[in-house]
Parts: sequence; structure tokens; C-alpha cells
Amino acid sequence: MSAVAATAPRARGSLTLWLGLLLVGLHIAVALLTLVWLPYDPAALTGGRLTPPSWEHWAGTDRLGRDFFTQIMIGSRIALIVGISAVAIGGLIGVTLGVLAAFATRLLDDALAATLDILIAFPTLLIAMLVVAASDTASLGTAVLALGIALSAIVARLTRILAKRVLLMDYITAARTSGTSWLGIVFQHVLPNIWPTLSVNFALQFGLAVIAEASLSYLGLGAPPPNASWGRLLQEAQGTVYTAPIGAIAPGIALVSLVIGVNLLADGLRDIGDPTRRGSR
Amino acid sequence: MQPLLQIQDLNLTVDGKPLVTDLSFSIAAGERLGLIGESGSGKSLTAMAATGLLPRAITATGAVTLGGQQVIGAPERVLNGLRGTVAAFVFQEPLTALDPLLRVAQQVAEPLRRRARRDGHELAGSALQREVLALLEQVALPQPERIARSYPNEISGGQRQRVAIAMALACQPQLLIADEPTTALDVTTQAEILKLLDGLVRERGMALLFISHDLPVVAEIVERVVVMQRGVAVETGPVREVFGAPQHDYTRALVVAAKAFDGALEGTA
Ligand SMILES: Nc1ncnc2c1ncn2[C@@H]1O[C@H](COP(=O)(O)OP(=O)(O)O)[C@@H](O)[C@H]1O
Ligand SMILES: [Mg+2]
Repeated sequence: MSAVAATAPRARGSLTLWLGLLLVGLHIAVALLTLVWLPYDPAALTGGRLTPPSWEHWAGTDRLGRDFFTQIMIGSRIALIVGISAVAIGGLIGVTLGVLAAFATRLLDDALAATLDILIAFPTLLIAMLVVAASDTASLGTAVLALGIALSAIVARLTRILAKRVLLMDYITAARTSGTSWLGIVFQHVLPNIWPTLSVNFALQFGLAVIAEASLSYLGLGAPPPNASWGRLLQEAQGTVYTAPIGAIAPGIALVSLVIGVNLLADGLRDIGDPTRRGSR
Repeated sequence: MQPLLQIQDLNLTVDGKPLVTDLSFSIAAGERLGLIGESGSGKSLTAMAATGLLPRAITATGAVTLGGQQVIGAPERVLNGLRGTVAAFVFQEPLTALDPLLRVAQQVAEPLRRRARRDGHELAGSALQREVLALLEQVALPQPERIARSYPNEISGGQRQRVAIAMALACQPQLLIADEPTTALDVTTQAEILKLLDGLVRERGMALLFISHDLPVVAEIVERVVVMQRGVAVETGPVREVFGAPQHDYTRALVVAAKAFDGALEGTA
């Protein structure tokens, strides 16, 4: 019986991991491929308008006659750039603020916590829209920066709570009595111990960022036209969703598969990375 | 000679509510003192105050001198220098005493390396590994090589507590503070750890502040006791006198309870 109990979670863990790797790997491969090769020139009018999927055009053509699959592929690249950069910005700002709050004096910590709670009360998308609206040019860079800032509040709040919990542990007091500096404690004990939870949250934030960027583009606040963001493809498909449903289905599938893939991957990686979950008991 | 740790009129409060009141005691170099009292009587807070590790919410007044340095109100930098060399901790919970993500060897290596750096030399590589294994042997861990490679969740509670003791020893402190180090362990392991601590402290001439709510355990390992009740020291003196002829009602109750427990054990034997 115990053998079954010990292997079952590991098997499930690795299935999650492999599925995640497959989906994310596919998107990364496609994104890298677009840098060197595309089936068609994304701007070239290569066929009839709104043709259904065929051997020449796997996802059909758009209303101007451009190859739709080419644009979905470019969308992968944009989504990955957006997700990674937004999480990197949000993670860097958020983790720094969160750790500082956890170590700060009570007054400063309370002030930071209250500010974060207020920021988080606003939807991520709304904050991002405000930042984009405040800057006069709509570009991929502004969208990413806006999303990163919006995400940082969520990351900061989580980091603060997780770090505080670790700081209560006896091994932290032991480290402090043996003379470890607070930076040493942050890098040796706090960050590694909050990382498993934090990284899964980063995956969630990645998904949020990709969806939010699609929404921004859908609203015309994202990357401007030569960049084929999935959000913009969805927006363009809006008018023709009954006559050419592939225009909405294809970017939708691409978006969902990336978001789910990243979450599965993070879950799977957390299970191997954490010695307490490696089923040694 | 000035005592290693001197606590004078220590008062600890949280939001004006007293937690420890007018507490005074001292520990000379090499001396073993027991701090005994029921759960919540302020023993752990006293130990924290002695090393300047009190939670921020708690206000301390009075005088605490550790290794000749005033602790209350001292800047973190000064305290840091003090902590690595003067005092080290062993805690109650073997589960939270070790970082779950680091192998035993890494955790023991850290204080060893820092201690060496303070003494003016670098300790690294195979020399460091040798020191780690030597320490694990000194705390009587079986198969030190295997334990060194293990993560905390792969070894038993008693073994974890031995690793925690090794980490404390790595600092080569003049004062070892053990806060209920055996409370979370089963009776057999408890006795083994006590014997180990006793031997190590005597061997190295370290001073010991031993905290417990368990009278027989304290009596076995210390020379002098401070009995605490609700943040107040109700009785102080040599173990034999305090437990042989208790003056205070609370101490008397403790002694009676311990005797009743022993009697019950003998009755079943
Ligand atoms: N961070 C804290 N904030 C407020 N009260 C605390 C804090 N830590 C401990 N206390 C209180 O101080 C009292 C003494 O605690 P402690 O020293 O841990 O007791 P002991 O170690 O003797 O069991 C308890 O009543 C506890 O509730
Ligand atoms: Mg305690």
C-alpha cells in the first residue's frame, strides 16, 4: 500500500511537468522559429479573403487575405515576450518591496501593506490601462511596463506574507544568533523558502499578463498593428466570427494553451524542486 | 569578574501589558542556570531579550549585559558581533530548527565558516567538510556522512535536534541557550539529548541557560535555578535548596507534581 501512496503523487507530478513542458516548449519553439522563418510574409496578401483552413493556409486567411497561421505564430513570440518581461518587472519590484516590508519597522510595514491592499483592489487591467493612457504612445514596451507595475503589487503582498512566515522560524533566529546579516538571511533562507510558492504564483501572473495584454490589444491599447498580438487578432475577428469562426478560435486556443502550459510547468517544477515534497517519507 | 550574562530589573511589555516584571539574574562563565516555569511564563522572551532578538512588538526596559555589552537599545551591528561569539541557541521544535531546503552539511557549514572568518581565517572546501563531519560526530550522530547529505525531513526529530546542537557548537559560544530542547522529543531521546548537552557543556566549559517547564529535567543538568511564574521570578537558588526546601507555593506545587509523577511511574513498574 505504502508503495502506491509513495509513487502516485510523483507520477502525477511528472505528468503535469511533461504536459507543461510540451505546451510551453511548443510555444517557445514557434516563437524562436518566427525569428528566422515564417510560412508567409505576414503583410503579404497571399490568398482570397477569409478563406477557411486549407493545406496552404492552415488557419485560413484574414479579411485582407493575409495568412492567418503566420500571424498566430508571431503572436506566440509577442505573448512570451509580454509574459516574461511583465513577470520579470513585477517580480523584481514586488519581491523587493515585499521583503523590505517584512523586515521593516511596524509602522512602515503597516503603511506598505495598506498601500498594497488599495492597489490590489483595482483590477490589474484597469491599472495597466491607466498607465498606458498616461503615456502618449501605445507600444509593446508601455503595455509590458504597465502590466509589470500592476502585477508588482500582487507579488509584493504575497512576498510579504510568505517572508514573514519564514522569519518566524527558529532557524532564522538561530541564523541571527550566529551572526548572519539580514541580507544573508534574505538570500540564504527567505528567498529559497518562499520560492516554490512564489514561482507558482509567477506562473499565474504570467498567464494574467498574457491575457491582460490580449485584452489591452483587443481594446486598441496594446501593441500597434505590425505586431500581431493574439488580442488584436481576436478583435479583428469580432466582426466575422460567424462567417469565419477560425479567426476567433485559433488565437483563443493559442492563448489558452500557453497559459495552461505555464501553470502546469510551474506546478511540476515546484514538485521536483522542493525536497520536502519529493516523497522521501 | 563580570558575569557572562547579567540581567537587571528586566521588564518586558506588549502594548503596556506586562509579560516579564523586574527580573534579575546572572550567569557566570561556565555556570549552568535553569529557568523553570509553566508555559507562557515568559521564559523564551527572557532568552530573546538576553540576545537582543525580541519581536518588535515587545518593549524592554532594564539592563541586560551580555559579554560586557549592554544589549537593550544596542544597534544591530553591535549585537551581530556579540551573537556569533558569545551566545548560541538550541530551540524546542526540531521541525523548525533547520531550514527545510538546505542539506545538513550546508547548515552546519554556515556558522563554522562565519566563526572562522571572525577568528581571521577562511574555512572552505575539504577543510570545511572535515570540520562539519567532526562536529556531527561530536554530537554523536550515527553515520555522519549520510546525515550530512540529508535534508532535514529525511532524519528523525532527535537527529535534527543533534544537528541543531552541532550548529550552536559551531559558533563556539561562551553561553549556550537551550530553550526547551527536549520538550518535543520522546522520553528515551529526551534522556539522550540531555546527556549529550550535559557532556558537551562540561567538556567545553560553556555556560548554559537551560529553559524548561519540566522540573526533573532541569534538576539533572543545572546548578542553579530561577523559578518563574507569570513573568515574575518567585524563587532563586541552588537546585538542591530550591527543590529540597521550596519556599514559594508555586515551587512547592511543582515539586509535588514532579514527585507524584515519579510515584506514579514507580507504582506501575
Ligand atoms: N510577539 C509577541 N507579542 C505579544 N505577546 C507575546 C509575543 N511573544 C510572546 N508573547 C506572550 O508573552 C508571554 C510569555 O511568552 P514566552 O516567553 O514564549 O513563554 P514561555 O517560553 O515561558 O512558554 C505569553 O503570554 C505570550 O503570549
Ligand atoms: Mg517557550
